[in-house]
Amino acid sequence: MIQCDKTILKNGLRVIVHTDHSTPFVAVNVCYNVGSKHEDPIRTGFAHLFEHLTFGGSRHVADFDTAVQMAGGANNAFTSNDLTNYYITLPANNIETAMWLESDRMLGPKFTKKGLDVQKKVVIEEFRQRNLNKPYGDVWHLLRDLAYKVHPYRWPTIGLVPEHIASATLDDVKDFFFHHYAPNNAVLVISGNIGSSDAFKLAEKWFSEIPSREIAPYPLQTEPLQTTDRELTVYRDVPIDTFYVAWHMGGRNEKDFYELDLLSDILSNGSSSRFEVKLVKEQKLFTEADAYLSGENEPGLFVATGKASPGIDIHLAREKMLEEILMTTETSITEYELEKVKNRVEADLLLNEIGYLEKAIQLASFEIMGDAAEINNQGRRYLEITAADLLKTASELFRKGNRNTLNYLSLQNSKK
Amino acid sequence: MNTFRKIAPPVHSVEKIDFIEPEHQLLPGGTSFFTLYGGTQEVVKLDFSFKAGTWFETSKLESMMAASMISEGTSGKTARQIADRIDFYGAQLNSLPYYDNNYVSLLSLKKHLPHLLPLLAEIIQDASFPEHEFEIIRQKRKQRAIVDAEKVGLVAQRTFLRSLMGESHPYAPVSSPEAYESVSLDGAKSHYLRHYYSANATLFASGDVDAEVQKMIVDNFGSGWGTPFPYKKDQPQVQSAEEKSFFIERESANQNALTIGKRVPTQHHPDSAGLKLLTTILGGYFGSRLMSNLREEKGLTYGIHASVVSFVRDAIFMIHAEVTAEKTQEAIKEIFLEMQRLREELVPETELEPLRSFLLGRMLEDFDGPFARSQSFSSLYEAGLSVGYFDQIIHTIKTTTPEQIRELARTYLDPETMYTVAAGKR
Repeated sequence: MIQCDKTILKNGLRVIVHTDHSTPFVAVNVCYNVGSKHEDPIRTGFAHLFEHLTFGGSRHVADFDTAVQMAGGANNAFTSNDLTNYYITLPANNIETAMWLESDRMLGPKFTKKGLDVQKKVVIEEFRQRNLNKPYGDVWHLLRDLAYKVHPYRWPTIGLVPEHIASATLDDVKDFFFHHYAPNNAVLVISGNIGSSDAFKLAEKWFSEIPSREIAPYPLQTEPLQTTDRELTVYRDVPIDTFYVAWHMGGRNEKDFYELDLLSDILSNGSSSRFEVKLVKEQKLFTEADAYLSGENEPGLFVATGKASPGIDIHLAREKMLEEILMTTETSITEYELEKVKNRVEADLLLNEIGYLEKAIQLASFEIMGDAAEINNQGRRYLEITAADLLKTASELFRKGNRNTLNYLSLQNSKK
Repeated sequence: MNTFRKIAPPVHSVEKIDFIEPEHQLLPGGTSFFTLYGGTQEVVKLDFSFKAGTWFETSKLESMMAASMISEGTSGKTARQIADRIDFYGAQLNSLPYYDNNYVSLLSLKKHLPHLLPLLAEIIQDASFPEHEFEIIRQKRKQRAIVDAEKVGLVAQRTFLRSLMGESHPYAPVSSPEAYESVSLDGAKSHYLRHYYSANATLFASGDVDAEVQKMIVDNFGSGWGTPFPYKKDQPQVQSAEEKSFFIERESANQNALTIGKRVPTQHHPDSAGLKLLTTILGGYFGSRLMSNLREEKGLTYGIHASVVSFVRDAIFMIHAEVTAEKTQEAIKEIFLEMQRLREELVPETELEPLRSFLLGRMLEDFDGPFARSQSFSSLYEAGLSVGYFDQIIHTIKTTTPEQIRELARTYLDPETMYTVAAGKR
């Protein structure tokens, strides 16, 4: 159980406090309801580039990093398809430094041509390091593009191509800020060694004077129901053949999200999972076999992937994995397997209640989806799932026409 | 706008960190058992370490394969039965190889310990090394190594370590995935039998380790197992390469990886704490010289880091970055320029002051909660150091002068002594 208190400031900022006296630290976490899904399709990668830019100082702060260091703290941020999240952790008695910095970031960062030019280069280097220069680094570019035709999840957070990032102008940057960064589009979570009333007072002191702003509308872009299976084959300079198969599923708050999370655990989480026991150890078809959820807030993907063992044809391996997956639509999983994955969920949820920063990030994410208190319903939502639910949901998910297959083959092997 | 916004709020420096040592007892079987009680949840973590790292191998990869095989079967249970039990109770079992020590750790809800501790004892004390599982893991590791060989970052770091230590040195990584073909089941099993015995183990239990849990641990691990192995090994010779500059070609790379550095004194040397401070200034945090110059000023890289990697019997100073391929020479030049500045100029107090506060904050973090404390103390004892070392670090952070830092830079950042490895496109 993660206890939390909530208030809303007059400018619309939602403030959530979680007290944990076991640590000498606090976390000040600000989450903005803006991610790569809010971007213009011809200017992707912008939310993430923007996150980089906000570290270049703000109206009253010359240098964020030095201020955090002086207070004995550390800071960082991340951007996803759904949101942008900033955090500072520091000894509790220095919390005002974090409040000063985060409120000033919300008030208005200092944007300069020089800062923009440098961060564009840095982000393009990040793009290269993570996606272009790493074996299999462009898988999610290909897979998203294959699976989504309408929804903005069709591009990854880093952006479609480096050129989109390179073309960003200072005007674009300012425009983006005033349409997305606002108290009425954000959640502030304070966690750690501080009581609620002190935390609320500080939130009022530092954030209440920031004006609310007009937020750019986010048009509902529903991905049309996929009715025909899709398949794409690419050859890349990688040593080993692989594939990714993805099916469309429900959003983070839907019942099937919880069910499919359990199903993916049954298939591939841990050495006793079905993939590991049958595909890796018994049949020796794969050296790695995995199933997982892409995990976004809006309807996302259920993904299965694997690397075939040496000498095993990748297409054969893929068919065997699909057989294993489709079995879950025909035969109920056993009560023992269900109990096993529920035990794992129970342990994982409890472990998630240990770190004060992790708790702050999760609370913010749930609040962005609608209600921070929903975090405490997680256990119940998993525990009430039955084997019959899983059978039904698996049948719906793995239906014909809902499948997207990416064959990612080795250029070298194809020449042999 | 409120006027208080115009100046930074006052800050308090970290005054005191409690280095309360864990409770210690020597179990009858010779295992050194440390307890760190605390935390907010009913969770317990057990960390075993064995003096069984690559240092103790008779041939390459034995230690890694031994660690991988620990949970793959006992004389009474198959790999599948073991996995099933661990997963059923939602626990996390890890067996990791490293350079000096190998680790076996279990993270579990306290309520499941009565089921899991006997199983953990069985795994550690009676691993059977079945051949079928060995072959599967060998293939899995080899495939991973084949993919890793395409990552310029890993290629540069591994080549660097091999050049510094010599190919056959126990700290040197293998040079090709083919090495996995020569590691034998017998070699891995002998490694396990020789080194995973009770008197060669240290155990840290952290979290909700109350008297009842302690008793369970003693019941399962107290009486001892295995046969002490009369370990005698000649100090392996470090055979650093004559040549100090290497380029490993990967034609398709569009970023080049750079690793630059050298061997430095271990943590027992009086300069060790100061050298760590110097390394942090150069490249150990976001505001470091290298980050400011190569990332925030020139945009040549997404990240560049300098660190001191401490082994028990050696230590390595290392700078690593992945940079725009066509800017490789410029990046190398700037890196050496930053080292030169530290040798020639005094670090201004305006740069040192925030760094001192930052590092004290990280130090406080290292002792926040039972799991973090367990990690800090186990690394300390492993290196053969006493709690006074933490005080020495604090003292160094607080009092090292710009002159001392320059002196350290002159001693340790001599460009003539640096090895430079680049991997990527020429």
